[in-house]
Amino acid sequence: MVKNKSAQLKIQQMTFMLIAVTLFFVLVGLFVLSIKTYGLKKIANNLEEENAKLLVAKLANSPEFSCGDVYSYSEINCVDADKVIVLKDRKEYADFWKVANIEIRKIYPVTANKECSLKNYPDCNIIKVFSKDVNAGAYQSNFVSLCRTEILEGEKYDKCELAKILVNYEVKE
Amino acid sequence: MRKKGQEEMVGFALIIIVVAVILLIFLSFSLRKSGQTQIESYEADSFIQAFLQSTTECAYYKPSYLSIKELIKACDLETTCSNGKESCKVLKETIEEILEQSWNTGEESVYKGNSLEIYSKDKEILKVQQGNETKNYKGSAQILANGLEVKFKLYY
Repeated sequence: MVKNKSAQLKIQQMTFMLIAVTLFFVLVGLFVLSIKTYGLKKIANNLEEENAKLLVAKLANSPEFSCGDVYSYSEINCVDADKVIVLKDRKEYADFWKVANIEIRKIYPVTANKECSLKNYPDCNIIKVFSKDVNAGAYQSNFVSLCRTEILEGEKYDKCELAKILVNYEVKE
Repeated sequence: MRKKGQEEMVGFALIIIVVAVILLIFLSFSLRKSGQTQIESYEADSFIQAFLQSTTECAYYKPSYLSIKELIKACDLETTCSNGKESCKVLKETIEEILEQSWNTGEESVYKGNSLEIYSKDKEILKVQQGNETKNYKGSAQILANGLEVKFKLYY
């Protein structure tokens, strides 16, 4: 009877020990998993940032933005403002570039901050091509020449202004 | 026996302290690295390409306003704009304003300074410098027609 009780105690001890060891490994596993998940999110955000950098460097020369041969002194990094204002908020392009925001800000000549719409264009200096309602990361920027056709005293001429194209990437949480 | 145990405990504590210090050093290095803002090489290239296309207030006859690229050529020939201003003066004013608006230079900024130089075959046409010169810089150059050259340096 005494031997039986001692064996029961040992079994109990073993059970507690097994539970404790299992719990310990589960906790360690959870800890490692949470660190790895955090690392994955960080990697995903770094990739998004890299993607935004690559995009901002080549966006001005894409067919949707580039001046092509329209303007007399347009070359590479030339953005057609007339094209972009029509492109603004087009739903078809919402997921095309896979970034959170794209906007163009005029730098020179300096004017008061005013967002562009079809009504006030070209008397404005910020063209928000599109923006998603998401958690946006730091913007990546690149210089472009923003060109359009102007009319002065009945005569057409090409006007190019220095601008920055800004791209925000989406931050994964 | 007791003394040996104490010695082992001191040794263990020392190892933990050394490992903790090493970990802290690694942590501080990694945090410092992630906080830095990098200067991308395409920024200087795209700036020089974009600003050369900008329209200026100088025209030989309105409304044919000259681009900066054309104004550099005009300055090399020492011509005058239709509004009576010298092309070189307009070029200098325009470039100074563009540099001021484009780059936020200063001690606390990522960009410590910048310089833009324009040369013809035999002379320096213009040199504009803002902020401080440092050993680290990213540069870009553009060769125009008639032996003209534009050099831009961005100090960080």
